[in-house]
Amino acid sequence: MNEEWRVLNSGFHNAFTNMAIDEAILREVSEGKVPPTVRFYSWKPRAISLGYFQSLHEEVDLEQCQRHGVDVVRRITGGGAVFHDQELTYSIVVSESHREIPKNIMKSYQRICGAVIKGLRHLDIKGVYAPINDILVDGRKISGNAQTRKQGTVLQHGTILMDVDVDTMFSLLKVPNEKLKDKLITDVKQRVTSLQHILGKPIPYEQVASAMKDGFEEEFDVSLVEGTLTENELILAHEIERKRFSQPAWNQKK
Amino acid sequence: MKGKSVYKIPNGKLLKIFLDYDQQTKCINTVQITGDFFMHPEEAIELLEQELQQVVLNETILRETIESIITKHHVQCIGLDAEGLSRGIMMCVL
Repeated sequence: MNEEWRVLNSGFHNAFTNMAIDEAILREVSEGKVPPTVRFYSWKPRAISLGYFQSLHEEVDLEQCQRHGVDVVRRITGGGAVFHDQELTYSIVVSESHREIPKNIMKSYQRICGAVIKGLRHLDIKGVYAPINDILVDGRKISGNAQTRKQGTVLQHGTILMDVDVDTMFSLLKVPNEKLKDKLITDVKQRVTSLQHILGKPIPYEQVASAMKDGFEEEFDVSLVEGTLTENELILAHEIERKRFSQPAWNQKK
Repeated sequence: MKGKSVYKIPNGKLLKIFLDYDQQTKCINTVQITGDFFMHPEEAIELLEQELQQVVLNETILRETIESIITKHHVQCIGLDAEGLSRGIMMCVL
C-alpha cells in the first residue's frame, strides 16, 4: 500500500494567513506531529507576495496596491514578486530526509515541479521544467516556484496561473525603467501563459486542484488523504500571522 | 557616499544592491543585497551583509571575501554567486 500523505484544500485566505499556514505546517511536519502535507489554496483579497530578499519599495507600488485592495506580504522563501490573482497555489511540506526528496536543492525543485507537470498532464497540457524555478508550456511561463529548507524540512510553494492580467500586475509592481514599461508589458504578455489561455475557456479551481492532487500522488507514489489543520497548527498559524506576516517590521525589512 | 546598482547575473537572477561606502578609504560602511535569488539558509544574507562591512571595494577582494563567507557558513546560493555579487557591489561605485 502506498504511503499516506495529507492533502489540505484550504480555499481562499488573505496573504498573511496563507503564509502563516504554510509555516505552521512546516513546524509541525519538522516535529513529526503531522504527515508530509500538500496544500492547495488561493488568495482573497488578491495579493502580492515578495521574495524574502527583495526590497519592498523597489518592487511594489504600495499606493496602487492600497487603491486596488491588494495585500502585500514577504515570503520566507526567495524568488521574485508574484501577483496572486486567478491562480491555484500549492505548497508541499516534507522532511528533507524523505526518500522521495533529493538532497540537492536544484534536483528537488525539478522533482516537485515534476508533480505539477504531471498535474498539468491531467488537464491535457504539456509542461516542462525550466531551471531554476519555472514551469513552461510552449515556452511560456505558467508556474513559478520557491523553496526553503528549515528544521530539516522542505517547504516549496508555487503558483499555477489560471488566468493572468498583466496590465493590472504592472500597475502594482515597479519596473526598473519606466520608459521601457510598455515594452516590458508586451514582452511579459508573450512570455506568460495561463490555463484559460491554453484551453480557450475558464477552468474551475476545483478541477485544477483535483488534477494537481493526482499529479502529486503519481510523482511521489503516495496517496493523498484529505485532512484538516490540527488544533495546534491553527494556533501556531494565528501566532505566526500576528507576530510575523502581518507586521510592517517583517514586510518592510528590506 | 551612497550608490545603487541593478545587475542581472548571467544565467542567474536580478540583483539590486544599495551601498554606503567611505569615499576616502574605499571601504564598505553598509551594503544591502536584494533581489529575486535564493539563498539557503535565507538568514545568511544578514550575516553576509554584516561581514562585508569595512571590506575594501576591490572586485577581487570582494569576490574572495564572499567566497570565504559562503564556504565558512555552508551557504548555498541559487541564481547568485560570489562573482556576480562582487560585480554588483562594484557597479554601485563605478
